[in-house]
Amino acid sequence: MKNKLQIGTNEMFNAPLLFYIICASQVGVGVHGFQAVIYQNAKHDAWISIIISFLAAYLSVFMSLKLLKMYETEDIFGVNLDLFGKYIGNFINLLLVIYSSLAFFAIIRNYTDVINAWVFPELKPSFIMITLMILVLYAFTAGLRTIIGICFFSFFLGLWIPVALIIPLNYANVNYLLPVFSADLVELLKGAYYMTFTVAGFEVIHTLYPFIKEKEKAKKYVSLGLFFTMFLYLFVMIVTLTFFSGEQLERTIWATLSLFSNIRLPFLERIELITVCFWMIVILPNLCLYAWSAFRGMKRIANISEMKFILGMFSLIFIGSFFIETRSEIYEFNNKFGYTAFIIVLIYPMVLYLIAYIKKSVSRQRAGKE
Amino acid sequence: MFFGKKKNESRKKQTETLPPSSQNKETPVQANDQMKKNETISETTEIFIQDVKERVLSPADFVVRHVTEKISITFVDNLIKEDILNLKLLPALQNIENESPETIISQLPLPQINKTDKMTDCVDTMLTGAVVIHVEGHSCAILVIIPARESRGLTPPENESQVIGSQVGFNESLSTNISLVRRYIANPNLGNEKFKVGKQTNTALSVMYIKGIVAEQNVNTIRQRIEALDIQDIIDSAELSELIDDNKLSFFPQMLITERPDRFCDGLLSGKVGILVDGSSMAILCPYSFFEFFQSREDKNLRWPIATFLRLLRFVAILISIFLTPLYVGALTFHYEVIPQSLLVPLSESRARVPFPPILEALFLELIMELLREAGARLPTKIGQTIGIVGGIVLGTAAVQAGITSNILIIIVALCALSSFITPSYMMGNVIRIVRFPIIIMAGFWGFYGIMLAFCILLIHLLRLTSLGAPYMSPFYPPRIRSWGDSIIRFPYRFTVRKSATTRVDGAEFSSNQDGQKNDRNVEE
Amino acid sequence: MKNLIIVIAFTFMLGGCAEQKILENISLTTLVGYELEDEGDLTSIAVIRQVNQDLESRVEIQSATAATSKWARTKIDLKTSKITGSGQLRVALFGENLAKEGLDHNLHILKMSAEISNATYLAIVEGDIKELLEYQYKNITDIGQHIYQLIQQNIEHHHALSSTLHEVNRDKYSLVKSYALPVIKKEEENIVISGMALFKDSKVVGQISADDTMFIMMIRERTHNGTLQLELPESTLDGITENPFDELAVAIDSIDSKPVLRLVDPSVPEFDLTIKMECRLREINTDIIVDDPETIKKLEKEINHKIESEIKQIIKYSQDVNSDIFNFGERFRARVRNVIVDKEKWYELYPQMKVNVKVESQIVRDGVFQ
Repeated sequence: MKNKLQIGTNEMFNAPLLFYIICASQVGVGVHGFQAVIYQNAKHDAWISIIISFLAAYLSVFMSLKLLKMYETEDIFGVNLDLFGKYIGNFINLLLVIYSSLAFFAIIRNYTDVINAWVFPELKPSFIMITLMILVLYAFTAGLRTIIGICFFSFFLGLWIPVALIIPLNYANVNYLLPVFSADLVELLKGAYYMTFTVAGFEVIHTLYPFIKEKEKAKKYVSLGLFFTMFLYLFVMIVTLTFFSGEQLERTIWATLSLFSNIRLPFLERIELITVCFWMIVILPNLCLYAWSAFRGMKRIANISEMKFILGMFSLIFIGSFFIETRSEIYEFNNKFGYTAFIIVLIYPMVLYLIAYIKKSVSRQRAGKE
Repeated sequence: MFFGKKKNESRKKQTETLPPSSQNKETPVQANDQMKKNETISETTEIFIQDVKERVLSPADFVVRHVTEKISITFVDNLIKEDILNLKLLPALQNIENESPETIISQLPLPQINKTDKMTDCVDTMLTGAVVIHVEGHSCAILVIIPARESRGLTPPENESQVIGSQVGFNESLSTNISLVRRYIANPNLGNEKFKVGKQTNTALSVMYIKGIVAEQNVNTIRQRIEALDIQDIIDSAELSELIDDNKLSFFPQMLITERPDRFCDGLLSGKVGILVDGSSMAILCPYSFFEFFQSREDKNLRWPIATFLRLLRFVAILISIFLTPLYVGALTFHYEVIPQSLLVPLSESRARVPFPPILEALFLELIMELLREAGARLPTKIGQTIGIVGGIVLGTAAVQAGITSNILIIIVALCALSSFITPSYMMGNVIRIVRFPIIIMAGFWGFYGIMLAFCILLIHLLRLTSLGAPYMSPFYPPRIRSWGDSIIRFPYRFTVRKSATTRVDGAEFSSNQDGQKNDRNVEE
Repeated sequence: MKNLIIVIAFTFMLGGCAEQKILENISLTTLVGYELEDEGDLTSIAVIRQVNQDLESRVEIQSATAATSKWARTKIDLKTSKITGSGQLRVALFGENLAKEGLDHNLHILKMSAEISNATYLAIVEGDIKELLEYQYKNITDIGQHIYQLIQQNIEHHHALSSTLHEVNRDKYSLVKSYALPVIKKEEENIVISGMALFKDSKVVGQISADDTMFIMMIRERTHNGTLQLELPESTLDGITENPFDELAVAIDSIDSKPVLRLVDPSVPEFDLTIKMECRLREINTDIIVDDPETIKKLEKEINHKIESEIKQIIKYSQDVNSDIFNFGERFRARVRNVIVDKEKWYELYPQMKVNVKVESQIVRDGVFQ
């Protein structure tokens, strides 16, 4: 196969780091307000929707890993080139690059919106976006090692957040969760669909796969990461469901942040202000990983230097931010992006796997005949 | 001339006793001269002495003495040990029977005798403390190396004190320092390589490591970097550390500078490469990770719960020192909602009289703190102590009463200053002092968002840094769990690994698989 | 590349300056009172803590009337030297007229603002709210702080129901749409919590005296402290009393009380409420030794009776005013399936509800002296 990837051993990272990568890349801006959207469909069985969504995610990752294992040291861009030839393959790669950029944009826009709503109402969104982009630039030019380091530290530094969320359990009213399974399957599935925006993030493994040192262990750590994130989201959802009553939850845009509003410490009040600003380090790995994935894709299509690509991508995103300014526009964009994410994250790997499997068995048959 | 020069080079014999890597790069002036002058040592003593005198530009302490008819000695007066010259060398030369270089070499009762036939060797060795003996009629010179080592006696280290532990520090003489190290590590595997750096100063440099523990590639890297140095002079080892650093532009030091031989040897034993510079009482150790800068030798002398507590205390103190003032500035300028009710009244009352916004107030106080510190460092000891205490207390109280600052901020700034002294490494302590200022400014402009931005930039910067190729955030990233017992905590020796994670590189004998084997542990199980 | 970064740095330097809210340049509003005026206008009374240069911190009370509370705040700004900030708001009081008209609108205002914390206490004022706040009390210097601490300590000791903005909002949007707020009133030189006001559909429908608050708490949740005074019939300690009074008054402290609620018959609906209580005997107005088991048993039996009858009365009262402050509605909904239980339905069912109350108390300790 031409255009094969060559990666030296010193650029690879150990498999256990995958756990941190998956956890850091999945927890992003979605966790701020995913509860209200899912509740609208699945009501108080929203936590079951989360489980369904994660099962789908796990299936998708499982297929992706199997697919990539067939190719040994390729990332998904190479797989596309192999399966669909040069032109269609490159076209699909370009679509994936655009998806990564859109994901980047989604995260940065949503976070800017949160900062504007909670902390600094009059700070220009463009300022927040520029500062975040400068951070990503600084991390991106340092290479994959630094990006994974950010994932690692973001994981540990963010561990206090679930611990702090134990405090609202004081107000928990278990009756809000009962009776269980009162929503029917269609509603649960709808809720799971709306969860896609939040659960997406693990698709960076498509581009990271060639860099893993012990590829056999990849599945174990990715599963652990998914498991951990699933528990995290379940925990947050259950705390939210017992804390807010039904209609109140539907009206609360950012439920997780409102949860923090009730915590009172002896030396600090209004923890949600600190949490919102702290969230920067939670989204930083997401941003870096998406930027990096987009760059890897672009490199396969056209050999372009790092700086040129990243500055080009940032300028496009910055210009794009002028088109999406109001809350309702952001909401619309999130919906559309959720739809795209659903296809690319959940459906696309399965389809690819099927095609690759068919191709492989066909070529095996042919080789057997000869 | 051209052919002549070639002939000389073919006659170059390696006279073995010269260390192989002492290559000196001459200054342009001398090089030009030597292009004109000959490298050979003339057979006539007169011409030889004239030549030498010209090359060293006739200093006032240049002495020539004709011992016998044929033998003459020249030396630079202040560089040699007078008593050995007078009691051993001169009598030996005067009583020698056969006046030829070979006899002199075999009969002189002195340990270091070299023979050379190059002028540059003569001049250079003479300038490091040697007596040049010239025998009439032979075109070679004999160098007797008897340098005078005037140096300070061994005193406790000035900048790194410990409560319990040895109280001796390095002094400025390279040989004393090396002898101190050899006393701790009486091991044939202790490697010692000499270099000379600096065109104008020709400072001697010693690279030490323990073969078998150190990773060969680290030693190679250091060797290459030192040999590639192209500088005019080097006075102190801290300059050297900046010149051979991985990232010269960074705030953070990547090599440790220490005055203590026990810390130096500890570093060598855990696989680091050490550099000693002649004329400097500070030794360099590399590679070092960020968290190792906060470890003190004393931690190993104390019992492990206390050591763990102290290490954690240091780490928390650093965090406080960097972030407390910015948090104050941010909370009071943008986020007054965060203040709990009990603090609200004292804080607002203390701020009410101050005419400046919190950021100016904070910067003002921090600057005063830095002024006090710098001034205190330069004052003679007799006045220094008093000014320090008086200045601090009086200035602070007066400032509050004049209404320029609030008393809560004084407490915060004093706490921050105190916390920044807790670092065992002076270099790192300075960094902590400085890093606070940009963060205060960010907090003053963009509140908590600014603080988070600054924190992220700091984190990314630390993750980018490498120390001699090893990641700066070892052992936390890349995670080397077996080394976590000796990072910001200290577990009992049973559970810690002797070789630090920074020095565990593929190829080093101690760890063929990444996470070490039984040999790694401190205690045999 | 360096130049580019400098250019970017300058852009964002110029582009973003967050609005400063320096602590001493803000009038800190610690308490706000709302009252409805004749034409539907809202009067906002703000208790502001002012800190001056001469270190004298005073409390200033400003009020203004306008159609919206935000405009009233602007009107107050026109009168004060520093801009008002509601970040430190801790108590919001509502006047009688407003309570009778309905609190929906006001609660919504408080929730919408990102500055106001979710843990703000809400309360109703009996009597004239302006008079309560503007009177120059002899012993109270900071009325905002005083009322805040008054409510807080009483909630901690179970003499008042916790009525933070979050909880009230939660109950407002829940199935039962009923909640209870403490009522405070001015009694000469003191401000007193005179009881709890019951709300239905955001209008005040009834009032319970402060003595009965503890019973409500015992029905709703687990309690760990709180005092009850019970008047038991004289016949309790028959034959053992020395000083016959009309009634035997005892004061007990609840150490741990736990309500267990079971739905027995969904059609009625009928509940079984069992309250297990461990208490200690604080005071008994007789001088005899009450240590022997028989006396204790008699006392416990009478205490059980008395508490049961009190609880039944309270529940009946709440059924009369149709304000389900005990959240029976949620319990009901949690245990029935396939029945649409909404607000209207519960309004019908609640007056018919039957509760079989059983109290099992256990006197664990009774002081250090017989």
